[in-house]
Amino acid sequence: MAETFWSSLDFGVVWRFRDALLMGLGFTLFLAGSGLVGGTILGALFAVFQSSRFWIVRWPIRALVEFLRATPLLMQAIWVHFALPLALGFTLTPTVSAILALTFNVGAYTSEIFRAGIAAIDKGQIEAARALALPTRLVWTKIILPQAFRLIVPPLTSSAISTVKASTILSILAINDLMRVAMRINGFTYRPVELYTAAALLFFLVGFAISRLGLFVEKRLERPA
Amino acid sequence: MNFNVGVLEANYPALLGGLMVTCLATLIALSIGFVVAVVMVTLRLGGGKWSRRFADAYLTFFRTTPEMVLIFWAYFCLPAVLGIQMSGLTAGSLSLGLVTGAYLAEIFRAGIQSVPKGQFEAGRALGLSRFALWTKVVLPQGVPLMTPPFINYLTELIKNTTLLAAIGVAELAYVAYNLGAQTFRYFEFITAIGIGYFLIIFPISLLSRRLEKTRRQAAM
Repeated sequence: MAETFWSSLDFGVVWRFRDALLMGLGFTLFLAGSGLVGGTILGALFAVFQSSRFWIVRWPIRALVEFLRATPLLMQAIWVHFALPLALGFTLTPTVSAILALTFNVGAYTSEIFRAGIAAIDKGQIEAARALALPTRLVWTKIILPQAFRLIVPPLTSSAISTVKASTILSILAINDLMRVAMRINGFTYRPVELYTAAALLFFLVGFAISRLGLFVEKRLERPA
Repeated sequence: MNFNVGVLEANYPALLGGLMVTCLATLIALSIGFVVAVVMVTLRLGGGKWSRRFADAYLTFFRTTPEMVLIFWAYFCLPAVLGIQMSGLTAGSLSLGLVTGAYLAEIFRAGIQSVPKGQFEAGRALGLSRFALWTKVVLPQGVPLMTPPFINYLTELIKNTTLLAAIGVAELAYVAYNLGAQTFRYFEFITAIGIGYFLIIFPISLLSRRLEKTRRQAAM
Protein backbone atom coordinates (compact mmCIF):
# COMPACT_ATOMS: atom_id res chain seq x y z
CA MET A 1 0.00 0.00 0.00
CA ALA A 2 2.69 2.44 1.08
CA GLU A 3 4.91 1.41 -1.83
CA THR A 4 2.20 1.99 -4.37
CA PHE A 5 1.63 5.43 -2.89
CA TRP A 6 5.27 6.48 -3.08
CA SER A 7 5.71 5.06 -6.57
CA SER A 8 2.54 6.84 -7.69
CA LEU A 9 4.07 10.23 -6.89
CA ASP A 10 4.93 12.26 -9.97
CA PHE A 11 6.64 15.56 -9.26
CA GLY A 12 6.78 16.12 -13.02
CA VAL A 13 3.41 17.87 -12.62
CA VAL A 14 5.13 20.67 -10.70
CA TRP A 15 7.66 21.08 -13.51
CA ARG A 16 4.97 20.94 -16.23
CA PHE A 17 3.04 23.77 -14.59
CA ARG A 18 6.12 25.71 -13.46
CA ASP A 19 5.10 28.85 -15.38
CA ALA A 20 1.66 28.99 -13.78
CA LEU A 21 3.08 28.30 -10.31
CA LEU A 22 5.78 30.96 -10.69
CA MET A 23 3.16 33.48 -11.88
CA GLY A 24 1.19 32.58 -8.76
CA LEU A 25 4.26 33.13 -6.62
CA GLY A 26 4.80 36.46 -8.38
CA PHE A 27 1.23 37.49 -7.61
CA THR A 28 1.63 36.41 -3.98
CA LEU A 29 4.76 38.57 -3.70
CA PHE A 30 2.97 41.49 -5.39
CA LEU A 31 0.03 41.12 -3.00
CA ALA A 32 2.24 40.81 0.09
CA GLY A 33 4.46 43.66 -1.15
CA SER A 34 1.51 46.03 -1.68
CA GLY A 35 0.06 45.01 1.68
CA LEU A 36 3.38 45.62 3.39
CA VAL A 37 4.13 48.99 1.77
CA GLY A 38 0.54 50.22 2.09
CA GLY A 39 0.26 48.80 5.59
CA THR A 40 3.51 50.40 6.76
CA ILE A 41 2.44 53.83 5.49
CA LEU A 42 -1.04 53.40 6.98
CA GLY A 43 0.49 52.10 10.22
CA ALA A 44 2.73 55.18 10.50
CA LEU A 45 -0.32 57.41 9.93
CA PHE A 46 -2.34 55.48 12.52
CA ALA A 47 0.52 55.89 15.01
CA VAL A 48 0.85 59.63 14.35
CA PHE A 49 -2.91 60.15 14.70
CA GLN A 50 -2.96 58.14 17.90
CA SER A 51 -0.44 60.47 19.51
CA SER A 52 -2.60 63.48 18.62
CA ARG A 53 -3.49 65.92 21.39
CA PHE A 54 -7.17 65.79 20.43
CA TRP A 55 -9.22 62.86 21.65
CA ILE A 56 -11.61 63.20 18.73
CA VAL A 57 -8.72 62.21 16.43
CA ARG A 58 -7.10 59.71 18.78
CA TRP A 59 -10.14 57.74 19.86
CA PRO A 60 -11.68 56.54 16.54
CA ILE A 61 -8.26 55.47 15.19
CA ARG A 62 -7.53 53.58 18.43
CA ALA A 63 -10.91 51.80 18.16
CA LEU A 64 -10.26 50.89 14.51
CA VAL A 65 -6.80 49.50 15.30
CA GLU A 66 -8.12 47.45 18.23
CA PHE A 67 -10.95 46.10 16.11
CA LEU A 68 -8.66 45.12 13.23
CA ARG A 69 -6.28 43.38 15.64
CA ALA A 70 -9.01 41.49 17.44
CA THR A 71 -10.79 40.07 14.39
CA PRO A 72 -9.57 37.45 11.86
CA LEU A 73 -8.23 38.59 8.50
CA LEU A 74 -10.37 35.99 6.72
CA MET A 75 -13.49 37.61 8.15
CA GLN A 76 -12.19 41.09 7.25
CA ALA A 77 -11.53 39.97 3.66
CA ILE A 78 -15.04 38.52 3.32
CA TRP A 79 -16.47 41.69 4.82
CA VAL A 80 -14.60 43.95 2.38
CA HIS A 81 -15.44 41.83 -0.65
CA PHE A 82 -19.04 40.79 0.05
CA ALA A 83 -20.51 43.08 2.72
CA LEU A 84 -18.92 46.45 1.94
CA PRO A 85 -20.20 46.59 -1.69
CA LEU A 86 -23.77 46.19 -0.39
CA ALA A 87 -23.25 49.29 1.74
CA LEU A 88 -21.33 51.24 -0.93
CA GLY A 89 -23.49 50.28 -3.90
CA PHE A 90 -20.59 49.25 -6.16
CA THR A 91 -18.49 46.09 -6.36
CA LEU A 92 -14.74 45.69 -5.93
CA THR A 93 -12.59 43.26 -7.90
CA PRO A 94 -11.17 40.41 -5.79
CA THR A 95 -7.65 41.82 -6.15
CA VAL A 96 -8.68 45.27 -4.92
CA SER A 97 -10.61 43.74 -1.99
CA ALA A 98 -7.61 41.57 -1.11
CA ILE A 99 -5.14 44.46 -1.14
CA LEU A 100 -7.54 46.69 0.81
CA ALA A 101 -8.15 44.09 3.51
CA LEU A 102 -4.47 43.21 3.78
CA THR A 103 -3.36 46.87 3.92
CA PHE A 104 -5.71 47.72 6.80
CA ASN A 105 -4.81 44.52 8.67
CA VAL A 106 -1.06 45.07 8.29
CA GLY A 107 -1.54 48.76 9.08
CA ALA A 108 -3.13 47.95 12.43
CA TYR A 109 -0.23 45.69 13.42
CA THR A 110 2.55 48.01 12.21
CA SER A 111 0.93 50.99 13.95
CA GLU A 112 1.63 49.18 17.24
CA ILE A 113 5.27 48.70 16.17
CA PHE A 114 5.53 52.42 15.33
CA ARG A 115 3.84 53.37 18.59
CA ALA A 116 6.39 51.39 20.57
CA GLY A 117 9.20 52.95 18.49
CA ILE A 118 7.85 56.45 19.10
CA ALA A 119 7.36 55.78 22.81
CA ALA A 120 11.00 54.69 23.08
CA ILE A 121 12.24 58.14 22.01
CA ASP A 122 13.35 60.40 24.82
CA LYS A 123 10.54 62.85 25.68
CA GLY A 124 13.16 65.54 26.34
CA GLN A 125 14.01 65.65 22.64
CA ILE A 126 10.43 66.39 21.68
CA GLU A 127 10.17 69.03 24.41
CA ALA A 128 13.46 70.59 23.27
CA ALA A 129 12.19 70.68 19.67
CA ARG A 130 8.96 72.36 20.81
CA ALA A 131 10.95 74.82 22.93
CA LEU A 132 12.95 75.69 19.81
CA ALA A 133 9.58 76.39 18.13
CA LEU A 134 10.05 73.66 15.51
CA PRO A 135 6.80 73.11 13.60
CA THR A 136 4.99 69.83 14.41
CA ARG A 137 5.63 68.51 10.91
CA LEU A 138 9.40 68.93 11.36
CA VAL A 139 9.31 67.41 14.86
CA TRP A 140 7.92 64.27 13.22
CA THR A 141 10.01 64.15 10.04
CA LYS A 142 13.36 65.28 11.49
CA ILE A 143 13.33 63.99 15.04
CA ILE A 144 10.82 61.28 15.86
CA LEU A 145 10.47 59.18 12.70
CA PRO A 146 14.19 58.88 11.74
CA GLN A 147 14.99 57.49 15.19
CA ALA A 148 11.87 55.35 15.36
CA PHE A 149 12.71 53.76 11.98
CA ARG A 150 15.93 52.24 13.28
CA LEU A 151 14.10 50.70 16.24
CA ILE A 152 11.36 49.17 14.14
CA VAL A 153 13.42 47.26 11.56
CA PRO A 154 13.51 43.95 13.50
CA PRO A 155 9.76 43.90 14.23
CA LEU A 156 9.02 45.00 10.64
CA THR A 157 10.89 41.93 9.36
CA SER A 158 8.61 39.67 11.30
CA SER A 159 5.61 41.64 10.07
CA ALA A 160 6.87 41.08 6.49
CA ILE A 161 6.84 37.32 7.11
CA SER A 162 3.36 37.49 8.65
CA THR A 163 2.19 39.51 5.65
CA VAL A 164 3.32 36.77 3.24
CA LYS A 165 1.60 34.21 5.47
CA ALA A 166 -1.53 36.36 5.69
CA SER A 167 -1.66 36.82 1.90
CA THR A 168 -2.40 33.07 1.54
CA ILE A 169 -5.62 33.63 3.49
CA LEU A 170 -6.79 35.95 0.72
CA SER A 171 -6.82 33.00 -1.72
CA ILE A 172 -10.41 32.47 -0.49
CA LEU A 173 -11.26 35.42 -2.73
CA ALA A 174 -10.83 34.43 -6.35
CA ILE A 175 -7.32 35.82 -6.88
CA ASN A 176 -4.54 33.98 -8.70
CA ASP A 177 -1.99 33.77 -5.91
CA LEU A 178 0.27 30.72 -5.51
CA MET A 179 -2.18 28.96 -3.20
CA ARG A 180 -5.12 29.39 -5.56
CA VAL A 181 -3.05 28.40 -8.61
CA ALA A 182 -1.99 25.18 -6.85
CA MET A 183 -5.67 24.50 -6.06
CA ARG A 184 -6.69 25.11 -9.67
CA ILE A 185 -4.01 22.84 -11.14
CA ASN A 186 -4.96 20.19 -8.59
CA GLY A 187 -8.53 20.53 -9.82
CA PHE A 188 -7.73 18.83 -13.14
CA THR A 189 -4.51 16.89 -12.42
CA TYR A 190 -5.51 15.35 -9.03
CA ARG A 191 -1.94 15.61 -7.74
CA PRO A 192 -2.48 17.30 -4.34
CA VAL A 193 0.59 15.81 -2.64
CA GLU A 194 3.02 17.04 -5.29
CA LEU A 195 1.41 20.47 -5.78
CA TYR A 196 0.78 21.39 -2.15
CA THR A 197 4.20 20.13 -1.07
CA ALA A 198 5.80 22.32 -3.74
CA ALA A 199 3.67 25.30 -2.62
CA ALA A 200 4.59 24.74 1.04
CA LEU A 201 8.31 24.59 0.19
CA LEU A 202 8.11 27.76 -1.94
CA PHE A 203 6.34 29.65 0.85
CA PHE A 204 8.87 28.40 3.37
CA LEU A 205 11.77 29.56 1.16
CA VAL A 206 10.23 33.02 0.74
CA GLY A 207 9.71 33.41 4.50
CA PHE A 208 13.19 32.10 5.24
CA ALA A 209 14.74 34.52 2.73
CA ILE A 210 12.90 37.46 4.32
CA SER A 211 14.08 36.55 7.82
CA ARG A 212 17.71 36.29 6.56
CA LEU A 213 17.37 39.64 4.77
CA GLY A 214 15.98 41.18 7.97
CA LEU A 215 18.96 39.97 10.00
CA PHE A 216 21.30 41.43 7.36
CA VAL A 217 19.59 44.86 7.39
CA GLU A 218 19.53 44.84 11.19
CA LYS A 219 23.30 44.26 11.30
CA ARG A 220 23.92 47.04 8.77
CA LEU A 221 21.87 49.47 10.82
CA GLU A 222 23.73 48.62 14.00
CA ARG A 223 27.15 49.57 12.65
CA PRO A 224 26.99 53.37 12.43
CA ALA A 225 25.37 53.72 15.86
CA MET B 1 -29.46 49.97 3.08
CA ASN B 2 -31.05 48.83 6.32
CA PHE B 3 -29.51 46.52 8.87
CA ASN B 4 -31.88 43.56 9.19
CA VAL B 5 -31.57 42.09 12.67
CA GLY B 6 -34.39 39.62 12.03
CA VAL B 7 -32.25 37.57 9.67
CA LEU B 8 -29.68 37.13 12.47
CA GLU B 9 -32.34 36.13 15.00
CA ALA B 10 -33.78 33.56 12.61
CA ASN B 11 -30.39 31.92 12.12
CA TYR B 12 -28.82 32.17 15.55
CA PRO B 13 -28.83 28.38 16.23
CA ALA B 14 -26.65 27.86 13.14
CA LEU B 15 -24.31 30.67 14.20
CA LEU B 16 -24.11 29.21 17.70
CA GLY B 17 -23.23 25.83 16.19
CA GLY B 18 -20.43 27.52 14.23
CA LEU B 19 -19.15 29.14 17.41
CA MET B 20 -19.06 25.71 19.08
CA VAL B 21 -16.95 24.30 16.23
CA THR B 22 -14.61 27.31 16.53
CA CYS B 23 -14.21 26.63 20.26
CA LEU B 24 -13.69 22.91 19.65
CA ALA B 25 -10.99 23.53 17.03
CA THR B 26 -9.27 26.02 19.37
CA LEU B 27 -9.28 23.51 22.24
CA ILE B 28 -7.95 20.61 20.13
CA ALA B 29 -5.21 22.77 18.59
CA LEU B 30 -4.27 24.18 22.00
CA SER B 31 -3.99 20.71 23.56
CA ILE B 32 -1.86 19.37 20.69
CA GLY B 33 0.21 22.55 20.70
CA PHE B 34 0.86 22.38 24.44
CA VAL B 35 2.18 18.81 24.25
CA VAL B 36 4.29 19.56 21.15
CA ALA B 37 5.71 22.69 22.80
CA VAL B 38 6.76 20.80 25.95
CA VAL B 39 8.47 18.13 23.83
CA MET B 40 10.21 20.76 21.64
CA VAL B 41 11.44 22.80 24.61
CA THR B 42 12.82 19.63 26.21
CA LEU B 43 14.62 18.73 22.98
CA ARG B 44 15.80 22.31 22.50
CA LEU B 45 17.16 22.90 26.00
CA GLY B 46 17.83 19.46 27.42
CA GLY B 47 18.89 17.33 24.46
CA GLY B 48 22.10 16.80 22.56
CA LYS B 49 23.26 18.48 19.38
CA TRP B 50 20.95 16.57 17.00
CA SER B 51 17.79 16.91 19.06
CA ARG B 52 18.50 20.64 19.37
CA ARG B 53 18.91 20.90 15.61
CA PHE B 54 15.70 18.97 15.04
CA ALA B 55 13.77 21.26 17.40
CA ASP B 56 15.25 24.35 15.75
CA ALA B 57 14.29 23.10 12.29
CA TYR B 58 10.76 22.30 13.51
CA LEU B 59 10.30 25.76 15.05
CA THR B 60 11.65 27.56 11.96
CA PHE B 61 9.55 25.53 9.54
CA PHE B 62 6.24 25.82 11.38
CA ARG B 63 6.69 29.50 12.18
CA THR B 64 7.63 30.43 8.60
CA THR B 65 5.19 28.37 6.51
CA PRO B 66 1.68 29.86 6.15
CA GLU B 67 -1.01 28.14 8.23
CA MET B 68 -3.27 28.01 5.18
CA VAL B 69 -0.74 25.88 3.26
CA LEU B 70 -0.25 23.53 6.22
CA ILE B 71 -4.01 23.10 6.61
CA PHE B 72 -4.35 22.26 2.92
CA TRP B 73 -1.44 19.87 3.16
CA ALA B 74 -2.90 18.10 6.17
CA TYR B 75 -6.32 17.84 4.57
CA PHE B 76 -5.41 16.82 1.01
CA CYS B 77 -2.00 15.16 1.33
CA LEU B 78 -1.65 13.63 4.79
CA PRO B 79 -4.50 11.10 4.31
CA ALA B 80 -2.84 9.92 1.07
CA VAL B 81 0.60 9.69 2.68
CA LEU B 82 -0.63 7.81 5.76
CA GLY B 83 -3.39 5.90 4.00
CA ILE B 84 -6.08 7.02 6.49
CA GLN B 85 -9.31 9.01 6.44
CA MET B 86 -9.35 12.38 8.17
CA SER B 87 -12.15 14.89 8.65
CA GLY B 88 -11.57 18.57 7.92
CA LEU B 89 -11.83 19.40 11.61
CA THR B 90 -9.20 16.79 12.51
CA ALA B 91 -6.78 17.79 9.75
CA GLY B 92 -7.27 21.51 10.39
CA SER B 93 -6.94 21.35 14.16
CA LEU B 94 -3.90 19.09 13.82
CA SER B 95 -2.07 21.56 11.58
CA LEU B 96 -3.02 24.51 13.77
CA GLY B 97 -1.84 22.43 16.76
CA LEU B 98 1.57 21.83 15.18
CA VAL B 99 1.94 25.57 14.48
CA THR B 100 0.77 26.44 18.00
CA GLY B 101 3.39 24.01 19.33
CA ALA B 102 6.15 25.95 17.56
CA TYR B 103 5.00 29.34 18.88
CA LEU B 104 4.36 28.09 22.43
CA ALA B 105 7.78 26.40 22.48
CA GLU B 106 9.42 29.79 21.87
CA ILE B 107 7.34 31.34 24.64
CA PHE B 108 8.20 28.55 27.07
CA ARG B 109 11.89 28.69 26.14
CA ALA B 110 12.04 32.44 26.76
CA GLY B 111 10.36 31.96 30.14
CA ILE B 112 12.72 29.19 31.23
CA GLN B 113 15.83 30.97 30.01
CA SER B 114 14.84 34.11 31.91
CA VAL B 115 15.49 32.23 35.16
CA PRO B 116 19.13 32.97 36.10
CA LYS B 117 21.56 30.05 35.81
CA GLY B 118 22.55 30.52 39.45
CA GLN B 119 19.05 29.42 40.48
CA PHE B 120 19.53 26.03 38.77
CA GLU B 121 23.01 25.67 40.27
CA ALA B 122 21.85 26.66 43.75
CA GLY B 123 18.98 24.18 43.51
CA ARG B 124 21.34 21.40 42.52
CA ALA B 125 23.87 22.36 45.19
CA LEU B 126 21.10 22.06 47.80
CA GLY B 127 20.46 18.53 46.55
CA LEU B 128 16.95 19.23 45.25
CA SER B 129 15.48 16.48 43.10
CA ARG B 130 14.95 17.27 39.41
CA PHE B 131 11.20 17.41 40.04
CA ALA B 132 11.53 19.78 42.99
CA LEU B 133 14.03 21.94 41.09
CA TRP B 134 11.50 22.47 38.28
CA THR B 135 8.27 22.73 40.28
CA LYS B 136 9.61 24.74 43.23
CA VAL B 137 12.38 26.88 41.70
CA VAL B 138 12.26 27.26 37.92
CA LEU B 139 8.57 27.23 36.98
CA PRO B 140 7.34 29.60 39.74
CA GLN B 141 9.78 32.18 38.35
CA GLY B 142 9.33 31.40 34.66
CA VAL B 143 5.54 30.99 34.45
CA PRO B 144 4.60 34.63 35.23
CA LEU B 145 6.80 35.64 32.30
CA MET B 146 5.23 33.07 29.96
CA THR B 147 1.60 33.77 30.84
CA PRO B 148 0.98 37.09 28.99
CA PRO B 149 2.43 35.93 25.62
CA PHE B 150 0.68 32.56 26.07
CA ILE B 151 -2.69 34.27 26.48
CA ASN B 152 -1.86 36.58 23.60
CA TYR B 153 -1.12 33.58 21.38
CA LEU B 154 -4.53 32.19 22.27
CA THR B 155 -6.08 35.18 20.47
CA GLU B 156 -3.96 34.40 17.39
CA LEU B 157 -5.12 30.80 17.51
CA ILE B 158 -8.81 31.73 17.70
CA LYS B 159 -8.34 34.01 14.68
CA ASN B 160 -6.52 31.24 12.80
CA THR B 161 -9.40 28.79 13.28
CA THR B 162 -11.25 30.78 10.59
CA LEU B 163 -8.81 29.26 8.07
CA LEU B 164 -10.57 25.93 8.57
CA ALA B 165 -13.41 27.45 6.55
CA ALA B 166 -11.20 27.03 3.46
CA ILE B 167 -11.40 23.22 3.79
CA GLY B 168 -15.14 23.27 4.49
CA VAL B 169 -15.21 23.01 8.28
CA ALA B 170 -18.47 24.58 9.50
CA GLU B 171 -16.90 27.00 11.99
CA LEU B 172 -18.28 30.47 12.67
CA ALA B 173 -16.89 32.27 9.60
CA TYR B 174 -17.93 29.46 7.25
CA VAL B 175 -21.47 29.35 8.65
CA ALA B 176 -21.84 33.13 8.43
CA TYR B 177 -20.48 33.23 4.87
CA ASN B 178 -22.86 30.51 3.72
CA LEU B 179 -25.85 32.13 5.42
CA GLY B 180 -24.83 35.37 3.73
CA ALA B 181 -24.68 33.62 0.35
CA GLN B 182 -28.11 32.02 0.85
CA THR B 183 -29.91 35.18 1.96
CA PHE B 184 -27.66 37.75 0.25
CA ARG B 185 -27.46 39.43 3.68
CA TYR B 186 -23.65 39.36 3.81
CA PHE B 187 -23.52 42.72 5.54
CA GLU B 188 -25.56 41.57 8.56
CA PHE B 189 -23.91 38.16 8.96
CA ILE B 190 -20.28 39.17 8.46
CA THR B 191 -20.65 42.29 10.59
CA ALA B 192 -22.32 40.23 13.32
CA ILE B 193 -19.54 37.64 13.48
CA GLY B 194 -16.98 40.46 13.33
CA ILE B 195 -18.49 41.90 16.49
CA GLY B 196 -18.67 38.37 17.92
CA TYR B 197 -14.97 37.72 17.31
CA PHE B 198 -14.11 41.11 18.76
CA LEU B 199 -16.14 40.44 21.92
CA ILE B 200 -14.31 37.14 22.45
CA ILE B 201 -10.78 38.15 21.47
CA PHE B 202 -10.51 41.71 22.77
CA PRO B 203 -11.07 40.83 26.48
CA ILE B 204 -8.48 38.03 26.22
CA SER B 205 -6.04 40.48 24.67
CA LEU B 206 -6.75 43.03 27.44
CA LEU B 207 -6.12 40.33 30.07
CA SER B 208 -2.75 39.56 28.48
CA ARG B 209 -1.78 43.25 28.50
CA ARG B 210 -2.93 43.68 32.10
CA LEU B 211 -0.87 40.68 33.27
CA GLU B 212 2.18 41.95 31.39
CA LYS B 213 1.84 45.36 32.99
CA THR B 214 1.50 44.04 36.54
CA ARG B 215 4.41 41.67 35.96
CA ARG B 216 6.62 44.56 34.81
CA GLN B 217 5.63 46.68 37.77
CA ALA B 218 6.31 43.78 40.15
CA ALA B 219 9.71 43.23 38.54
CA MET B 220 10.73 46.83 39.14
